[in-house]
Amino acid sequence: MPEQLVFAMEVILNGLMAGVLYALVALGFVLIFKASGIFNYAQGVMALFAAMTLVGIMNGQVPFSHLINAIFGAHITHFGWQVPAAIAILLTMAVMVLLAWCVQQFVMRHLVNQEPIILFMATIGLAYFLEGVADLMWGSEIKSLDVGLPQGINLWIDETTFNIFGYGFFIDNLDIVATVVAALLVIALVAFSQYTKQGRAMRAVADDHQAALSVGISLNFIWVMVWSVAGFVALVAGIMWGTKSGVQFSLSLIALKALPVLMLGGFTSIPGAIVGGLIIGVGEKLFEFAIGPLVGGATENWFAYVLALVFLVFRPQGLFGEKIIERV
Amino acid sequence: MLDASDGYVTEDGRKIGGVVMEMRNITLRFGGVVAIKDISFDIREGEIRAIIGPNGAGKSSMLNVISGFYVPQEGEVWFRGAKRPPMRPYEVARQGIARTFQNIALFEGMSVLDNVMTGRLNFMKTNIFQQALWKGRAEKEETLNRAAVERIIDFLEIQHIRKTPVARLPYGLKKRVELARALAAEPKLLLLDEPMAGMNVEEKEDMSRFILDVNDEFGTTIALIEHDMGVVMDLSDRVVVMDYGKKIGDGTPDEVRGNQEVIDAYLGVSHD
Amino acid sequence: MDNTQSAAGGLHSLPALLHRNAQAFASAPAYREKEFGIWQCWSWSETAQEIEALALGLLNLGVREGDFIAIIGRNRPYLYWSMVAAQSVGAVPVPLYQDAVAEEMVYVLSHCGARFVIVSDQEQADKVIEVQDQLHQFEHLIYLDPRGMRKYDHHQLHQFSHVQDQGRAARDEWITDLHTRRDKLNYDSTCVMLYTSGTTGKPKGVVLSNRNVIESAKNASDFDGLTSSEDILSYLPMAWVGDFIFSIGQAYWCGFCVNCPESADTMITDLREIGPTYFFAPPRVFETQLTSVMIRMEDASKLKKRMFHHFMAHAKKVGGLILDGKPVALMDRLKYAIGNALVYGPLKDTLGLGRVRVGYTAGEAIGPEIFEFYRSLGINLKQLYGQTEATVFITVQPDGEVRPDTVGVPAPDVEIRIDDSGEIFYRSPGVFVEYYNNPDSTASTKDAEGWVATGDAGFIEEGSGHLRIIDRAKDVGKMADGAMFAPKYVENKLKFYPDILEAVLFGNGRDRCVAFINIDLTAVGNWAERNNIAYASYQELAGHSRVLETIQEHVETVNRSVAEDPMLSGCQVHRFVVLHKELDADDGEMTRTRKVRRRIVEEKFADIIAALYDGSDSVSTVTEVTYEDGRKGSISATLNIRDAAVMPIAQKMAAE
Repeated sequence: MPEQLVFAMEVILNGLMAGVLYALVALGFVLIFKASGIFNYAQGVMALFAAMTLVGIMNGQVPFSHLINAIFGAHITHFGWQVPAAIAILLTMAVMVLLAWCVQQFVMRHLVNQEPIILFMATIGLAYFLEGVADLMWGSEIKSLDVGLPQGINLWIDETTFNIFGYGFFIDNLDIVATVVAALLVIALVAFSQYTKQGRAMRAVADDHQAALSVGISLNFIWVMVWSVAGFVALVAGIMWGTKSGVQFSLSLIALKALPVLMLGGFTSIPGAIVGGLIIGVGEKLFEFAIGPLVGGATENWFAYVLALVFLVFRPQGLFGEKIIERV
Repeated sequence: MLDASDGYVTEDGRKIGGVVMEMRNITLRFGGVVAIKDISFDIREGEIRAIIGPNGAGKSSMLNVISGFYVPQEGEVWFRGAKRPPMRPYEVARQGIARTFQNIALFEGMSVLDNVMTGRLNFMKTNIFQQALWKGRAEKEETLNRAAVERIIDFLEIQHIRKTPVARLPYGLKKRVELARALAAEPKLLLLDEPMAGMNVEEKEDMSRFILDVNDEFGTTIALIEHDMGVVMDLSDRVVVMDYGKKIGDGTPDEVRGNQEVIDAYLGVSHD
Repeated sequence: MDNTQSAAGGLHSLPALLHRNAQAFASAPAYREKEFGIWQCWSWSETAQEIEALALGLLNLGVREGDFIAIIGRNRPYLYWSMVAAQSVGAVPVPLYQDAVAEEMVYVLSHCGARFVIVSDQEQADKVIEVQDQLHQFEHLIYLDPRGMRKYDHHQLHQFSHVQDQGRAARDEWITDLHTRRDKLNYDSTCVMLYTSGTTGKPKGVVLSNRNVIESAKNASDFDGLTSSEDILSYLPMAWVGDFIFSIGQAYWCGFCVNCPESADTMITDLREIGPTYFFAPPRVFETQLTSVMIRMEDASKLKKRMFHHFMAHAKKVGGLILDGKPVALMDRLKYAIGNALVYGPLKDTLGLGRVRVGYTAGEAIGPEIFEFYRSLGINLKQLYGQTEATVFITVQPDGEVRPDTVGVPAPDVEIRIDDSGEIFYRSPGVFVEYYNNPDSTASTKDAEGWVATGDAGFIEEGSGHLRIIDRAKDVGKMADGAMFAPKYVENKLKFYPDILEAVLFGNGRDRCVAFINIDLTAVGNWAERNNIAYASYQELAGHSRVLETIQEHVETVNRSVAEDPMLSGCQVHRFVVLHKELDADDGEMTRTRKVRRRIVEEKFADIIAALYDGSDSVSTVTEVTYEDGRKGSISATLNIRDAAVMPIAQKMAAE
């Protein structure tokens, strides 16, 4: 087999793995958008916030320590204990649920029946607010996150491919885990929305508020639930990205990477988010591999957006999105 | 007038029971506009009660007060012998008051079956973890709810559209699906907001038959709003007539028909 | 006839067959019905118990031997049981068309003097109650569905399940009586009485004996090798002889399962769920299904569309041949197998015809394209020719000899004769006993030797021995110049277009032919939607100029094809009009089985026909219509009259 082709295969595989992580973030967007019609700009920041909270709890960091120290002149930064990853994840989830409740109680509840653009603006505000809170709570330094996920080259794949192609593929174990987790997450989410009482209620609310009320569904409860689920997805995404590239504020920028993914896949489709993520992941890696050297590299920074732009022109509803029909 | 305490027997021999719902001196204002002015009436168990009046008389507002979508500034709502505190619509629904809407509020993206199943949400008691395992209680519960829904689907003759997305249905069928969803909740009081609006003669006859059959078969107490006088008079046991937010008549269809104020409201000074 | 008697093995009545089935196939399913979203099932032994309970209940209510018991409702197991229960107590079941209006029911109910009526629900009960004053012999009404019936006066009304309960309770009292009556039944006892809709005149009660029904069922089952493992979907009117033979005669003879749909509207879904192995449908059902497939394909993705058309073209080439067991090249077979996996198989499953081993169509001529379409998919669809008076079967197409233009060879034990005028006569063990209380009609239809006139004109094809039908014998007329006038022939050609639902040709005794056309609202409406043509009503769509243009093209194509046959080329359509209303059974323009009543249409629309012949461009008319609830109204319209191009009758000219 020609060498170039083998390299390309490795690139594609790596692209798929990266795509899964994009898809994870996009999934959070789709979920909230479907259930509430809100495009949640803060989804990326929520992932960052979740990851920071997780690291903070695991390290026994004192929240708001700078603030406390500044006011009281103290010098506490850590409680002096380490929390096991599993418990820390549960605690973080509890924080995310609390966050969801706050978002609903203090922001969204007051914006019922507002234009989508107002809601969108609100989430932009939320994003900056949350970023500030995260900074204040846990500090702005880059931290590493290790919840015990396997990392590093997968030796089995390396050996197997070496035996076949005479060249070992470099596939990160973490990427494999991310893929599996993403698959499980999607299955769980679909099962939740299709087969549970709460899932049914969630779909009902997304469809028609008035009708949902008339069958006894509390809108508040459902929205808190939706934001909690989005928080859960953000936590998963935060763990994956954080483990991969450290917990830092640039993490919130991955939210922007999710945008082209959504344009490709459609804002309302869960399979769309996955396929879109994979296409962007593979596309940008492959483009960098094939065209990158000709144009001086760093194509990964803009390729996804150009691809999304092209899509917007030819298929504005995305690959799987519902056709946009404006009724006159 | 009617005896206030024990109920009565209708012309066709149905026994009407005690008071299920009572509105006492309800006044509802939107800003400076008075939509309902000091209205009192009751709804008795097993009866078909109509609220009629010209457009803008405040009928829909009254229905929205009963179903909790509006909270009146003055007056009391009594339901099943207890005074009802101000409630949100979903709490009212959970109390056993189901409703339909004049402009049809269905879950357009779901199938007919899923729509009707949402009417059963309050009958699903298992929690999310039991459901996640999908065993035992949760499964049994789902089966029972499905069976209840199937009876209603059969009753309203919508078997052929069970799996059809609601968005694809014609208007008349959507109205029937909405009724099915309300019935699925096994309501103690069923509110119908202009169930015949926008229908042709044949569809109206079908709908009337279904309303009568529902009352007959399940003994459901029904309160409905309608401005088609003819339909209402055939259908209901007692009628409240509203005009300009005031009650101008209350009684059996015959009594109301002979009421001079009602005749004036409908024939003399119409404000359509 | 002695040998046929023994061939039935002493099984001389439906109750006797039921008794055998309850033992031979005890736990096998006999009936299924979808209710509350689930298929409910009764085994043969359960069926026998249900029927016995009902029979005892009927005795308890005072049914006498020889009584007529009318049965009205959609296909439900309970009503099929009612027929057999009626026979068990020595009474005669008379199924009625459920869509008949009350006035139509009066005639039949009083003609047979039914003392008992079994109905499905309130709707049917209301009709009977409405006319009961005119029914002197009517005594008891039994209803199935209690919904809405609570408030009725129950002096003469009984709920079906209560009648059964009372029967069970009084078993000891009546069981001997039941056995005695059952044992009295023989091969010549009346099995059922069916009223023919009749294209003209009042309905006639066709009396069929056990011999008629059982012999016909047995012969037809042998002919197609039917077994006890068949599944059929019973959805055609219970008053129609075909349903009686398939759902009772053959079902009891073979011991197979009868499946009843959930409601009339769910037929297609139920068909898919049951997947019958033996299936009967009038051409209309096949047409509707094909139309819906084509409409769905219009909306499918490009890839799917191309795949569909590609493989359908291949199926058209070899599908029929493969089904007939004719030699086909290996490559073509392979490609057909691929097509089967990708297109034909899924399509057949969607249609609910994936398991069909034997399928029949009859009643009307089926379009050759439609017929070939189903056969090319590998569905063994065949044609048969039959009548109520023959207990269905006159001719049938044997496997491997199926063609769209013939109706097959004489069915087993059937003799056929064509008289000088071209009318078809037959004689068979299925030939009816008599028309009830109508010896004149009986004598004019059936002669002393047992030959029955069909009223159809046709001929037996040289070589193949297949029967070909031209038209109703009385409808085949002569035009002014003596040329043959065969309206059905032309009408069928027109009706094969999906756009055209119905066509009526006029021209008997005239110098040229003209036609009425009914458009098909589904097909044309869909076309209109795709072409952004707005319309508010049937009338408006039917009068749209682009619709008229399309229809004109169809008419002219048909003219070209008609002109090819020198004998019939005089029947080309010179002028036509697209009617402003659908011909409707409620208005008497069609029979309940949807055959056009030519005379009535001719009288009712005389003004339009006159306009067609006097050369005017348009005609204004007012037509009375009957709504579904029986009220009458009228619609007025101005109709465009169109001239269609005709082909010169070259051969004929040369011959003269």
